[in-house]
Parts: sequence; structure tokens; C-alpha cells
Amino acid sequence: MKELLETILSPAFGYAILRVTTPILFAGLGAAVTELAGVINIGMEGIMLTAALAGVIVGALCESAAAGLAAAVAAGVLMALVMAYFSLNLKTDIILAGIALNLMASGGTVFLLYVVAHDKGVSSSLASPVLPQVRIPVIDQIPVLGEILSNHNVMVYVALLSVLVVSYFLYRTPYGLRLRAVGENPDAADSVGISVHQVQYVALIISGILGGFGGAHLSMGYVSWFARDMTAGRGFIGIAAQALGGQTPIGTLLASLFFGMTDALSNFMHFIGIPSEFVQMLPYLATVVALALYARRQVTRRARLARVNRPVEAGTGAAAEGD
Amino acid sequence: MRKWFALLAAVALMGSVLTAGCLGGGADEDKVKVVLLLNGNLGDKSFFDSANAGVLRAEEELGVEVKVIEMGLDQSKWEPALADVSTQDYDLIIVGTWQMTEYLEKIAPQHPDKRYIIFDTAVDYTKADLSNVYSILYKQNEGSFLAGALAAMVTTSDMPLANPEKLIGFLGGMDIPVINDFLVGYIEGAKYIEPDIKVAISYVGSFGDPAKGKEMALAQYQMGVDIGFNVAGETGLGQLDAAKEMSRYALGVDSDQALLFKDSDPEKAGLIVTSMLKRVDNSLYRAIDLYLKGELPFGEAESLGLAEEAVGLADNEYYQQLTTEEMRQTLAEIEAKILSGEITVSTAFGMDSAELDALRNSVRPGS
Repeated sequence: MKELLETILSPAFGYAILRVTTPILFAGLGAAVTELAGVINIGMEGIMLTAALAGVIVGALCESAAAGLAAAVAAGVLMALVMAYFSLNLKTDIILAGIALNLMASGGTVFLLYVVAHDKGVSSSLASPVLPQVRIPVIDQIPVLGEILSNHNVMVYVALLSVLVVSYFLYRTPYGLRLRAVGENPDAADSVGISVHQVQYVALIISGILGGFGGAHLSMGYVSWFARDMTAGRGFIGIAAQALGGQTPIGTLLASLFFGMTDALSNFMHFIGIPSEFVQMLPYLATVVALALYARRQVTRRARLARVNRPVEAGTGAAAEGD
Repeated sequence: MRKWFALLAAVALMGSVLTAGCLGGGADEDKVKVVLLLNGNLGDKSFFDSANAGVLRAEEELGVEVKVIEMGLDQSKWEPALADVSTQDYDLIIVGTWQMTEYLEKIAPQHPDKRYIIFDTAVDYTKADLSNVYSILYKQNEGSFLAGALAAMVTTSDMPLANPEKLIGFLGGMDIPVINDFLVGYIEGAKYIEPDIKVAISYVGSFGDPAKGKEMALAQYQMGVDIGFNVAGETGLGQLDAAKEMSRYALGVDSDQALLFKDSDPEKAGLIVTSMLKRVDNSLYRAIDLYLKGELPFGEAESLGLAEEAVGLADNEYYQQLTTEEMRQTLAEIEAKILSGEITVSTAFGMDSAELDALRNSVRPGS
């Protein structure tokens, strides 16, 4: 137990949490924006996977990490546009479109990899570049904090910045207000002249950009190659994180950090002789517990609201149905 | 919408008819027909790729006709695929891994005129009449004994990236007997060189999540591990990335993983001291050769080890550069002792969990 505490209190553990959190956070932010616009993007997994492959292939061909990143984002947006076209123009169910996108990406990326590199599992024959690690000047000097926060892959900082940018966009810009209005009640938004179609397109494109970043981080930062199905459920965990975080960017960040922490913790717990089956269960157990706590909080809040509202309703005689 | 769907369905149907046509056509009547069914995909850079290489070599050198079918990761398709090829005109049907045992035990007795080979596991010959099935087991414990001995020599050496701590790593895909067979040999080999050795053991729980594999390997390296052995398929490739990031050593598995990165990432390849080869290719080639001569013992399981060159350490330029003459000498001596029976390596197959736990606890860091 002592070793475990020592490990958790070490800066290396904090550093690991941020790195593990990053792909989940990208997926979570992307999903949050689409959820707020009423078009939940469950294709994050497929978007990230495609972006991860595009980054590796273009990065290797152009011998430039920047080109790889650009290609990853472009691929993410392209996948999001495919999804938008099917769900918004052709009116397919967005959940089904998302599932189709994920399945297509899973097989399609392996096919593309085979065409380009004659590899079916791992792109180890492509010499793909890696995005740089960044040393932050001042923070780097602070003893413990510097070790945790500095010297990460550049995408880790992009993820943290994205929280602020998405937050600003959603709550401080007119377009963000419109986006939330569309998600809240598309008919009402439509009646005041907002193009629901266009807003939802924009929301999906934003999720494509964020998913593209997430994919680039996986294949060009986290590891230095593409592997079949390398997202391994991170897109879905991201969607769970935005649900747990109540669709707010900050909430999504906190939930992602929570998932990242349990995941990082499980990596260290093997060493103190805890059975591996238990350790592997831990991140999912944490998810269930967190969701249960969240649901309980929702229920108590609703109950409190009902109590507060009742006398008013009685006084005015208004017959409020539902909430 | 419905019209589109009908069109899609029609295209899909045509596609499947065409591929089925290709499967059936072009048969040469005189040649022995061999089919390799993989319950996964090629491209893993280790296990299945090695099996594929073995049957392709047999096609080229032994003049048999070979068909390789990738059944993918969907388990529900494996049994029907095996049943299908059993009704076709193949003479020899090859499958692998423990996940296929049950299906084979059911289907093989229904086709007594067919011959089957299963590798990396054995069918239960007491269950049914399985006199047409030959099982190949690998003594990965013997090869891993060498890997463990080498790891212990590296961690106690003054090699540039080795630290004074006598701590080595093991990254397993899952906590299952075949992976633990590697582990048992690895621990015993390491203890043979250095009785006080400690081994950091992690199981990722997946063979297909390299990012998680890297994360766990990083955790091991941060603890003071200076050389780690990955036995986790694609997941294990994450360890090689971690080795590069932390500038530590790694041991590859199944195929020569240093050669994998030789061209694309020579720096990484230079940290892979050697790989514990599991020569699925050699064993399948040998089996097909024996089959053609009529000498393959169907109805039995055989364990192939160092003696049959079914396992062993990879010898390449990096191995020669990184290890000293003395280390290679010691390994050769150990190998001779295993072959002569002077050293017997325990196996995880049939080992009860209390015994395995005791072995794992005996090398746990901090104990």
C-alpha cells in the first residue's frame, strides 16, 4: 500500500494522467458540442481512427508532422461531413449513421493502410513523424508542478486550450447561443430565423476538428504509428465523459480527468499484487459509480426544484405539465 | 431510400458470389490442398504473420497448394468457416489458438477423411475420436528462460542504459496460461542468473491496444525497470515505443521485432536487445513436410521447443552489437543444458494458480 501511495503522489503519475486524459477529452468536447446542438455524434471513435491513419500516411509522405496534423484534421472533418450529410440531408437516424461510420472506419482504415503500406495491422513500415513535445518556460521551473504540466506532447496543450475555446464559443458568442438554442428546441430556433440545418452542420464539423486532433494525438504523439482499431473505445469513453460532465466543457474536462486518473491508476496497481482482473475492471467500475452518483444528484435536484415550484404553481393556478 | 438499400444489397450479393467463385476455382487436381484458417487478421507482425509465412514457404518449396483465410475477429464466424472448409476438397486444414479447440473437437470427428492441424494449443483427445487431428504446442517457456536469463544479465551489467536496480519487466497481453508460460520461463531464467531478481509484471487485458501497452510499459520503466519483455501481440508494440521514449531496453516476441523497425525507426530497433522467437512458421512447414512423407503423428499432441528450433532468441546485428561475447557464451551454455535435460523449465500449463501466484510473488518488487 505504501508503494501505491508513493506512486500516486509522484509527479510522474500526474504527468501520466494528463497524457491518458487527452484523447478522451478531445472526444468528449466534440461530443458535447454536437449534443448541445441536438445531433449527438457517436461516430467519434471512427473519426479519431480515420484521422489517426491520415496523420500517419500524410505525415510520412510529406515528412512533416504539421502536414500530418493538417491531414488528420481534414480527415476528421470529412468523416463528420459524411455523417452530417447522411443524418441531416438524407435524414437517417444519427445513432445509426454514427455506428455505420465507426464500422466503416474500423475496416476502411485497415484497407487503406494495406493499399498504401502493404501492412494490415501496424504502420511500422512507414516512417511517420511525431508531433513535438513542448517545454513551458516558467512553469517548467516550478518543482512538482513543472514536472506534471511541462514537457507534454503539443496536443495535450491543444486539448486543454480547446476547453477554453469551446467554452468561450458556446457561452460568449452569438453563434454559441444559437447552437444551444437549436439543441434545446429546434422548432423555436427555426421560428426566430435560425437555420437549424446550418447550425447542426457547424456543430458536427467542430466535432470533426476535435476528433481529428484526438486522432493525431494517438498516432503521432501517444505512439508513433497507426495500429488497427487503436482508439480502443476512447471515443465512447469521451461520449460518456461529456454526459457525466453535463455537456459543459469544464464538466467534460473534469470527467475526462477522472477517467484518465482511474486508467492511470490501474497501470500502476499491478505492481502491488492486486489481481489483474480487478485492475482492468477499475476504469469501468469508476464509470458506473460516477454515473450513478450523477443520476442521484439529478434526481435530488429535480425533487428540490419540484418542491420550490409547487407553491408558485398553486398560487397562480398555472397547470405546468412536465418540466 | 429503399431503392438505394436494394441496390446496396444487390452489390453486396454480387461481391460475395464473385469471391466465392474465386475460392472454388483454379484447383489443380494432383496437388495436396492445404488451407490455413486464421481466427484474426494478418498484419500482427508476430503470430499470424509467422503462420502465414510457414505455409507460403511450404507452397513454394514443397509444391502444395495453399489457401489462407482470415476469419477476422468476429468469433461467431469461426465455427461456420471451419465447418465450411471441412466440406470442401482440402486435404489438410490448419487452425490455431486455444479459441479454436472447442470448434475443432466438434467438427473434426464429423469429417474422418480430412486431416487437421491445430497449433499453439492441443485438443482433448479423450473427448471424441480425434485421430485425424495433430496438435502443436510450443515450449515458449524454454525460449523465455533464455530471454529471462539475458534480461537478468543486462540489468546487472554496466551497459549504458542499464541502472543498478535488479529489476526487469514483463508486459503480458492477458492473464492466461499461454502468456503465463512465457512468464514462468522468463522468471526462472532470470533467477538462474540472479537469484535476487525482481520482476515488474503487468497484464494489459487486451492484445489490440498499443497506447495502453505503452502507458503500462512507461509505468514499469519509471519504476526503475531497465529491460522489459513484451508478450502482448499488437499491444506489446507500445512497449517498444516506451523504450524509445525512456531510453531503456526491450525484448521482442514471436517474430524479430528489431527488424520490423530497422528501416523506419533505427533508434527504436537499436534498443531491442533480441526477440524471443516463436517459430510458428518452422513448425507448420515441418508438419506439412512430415504430412507429405506420411510421417505426421495424427491423433497426438507434440511439444516443440529449442530442439526443434520452434522457439529461440533472434540473432541479428543489434543483438551482436548490444550483448557481450560473455553473455552470448552463457546463453549458449544454458541452451545446451536445457537440451540435455540438465535444466528443466517449469510450464504454466497445468500449474495451479497458488503455485503461479507464489512464483509471481517471489519476484514482486518491494517484497
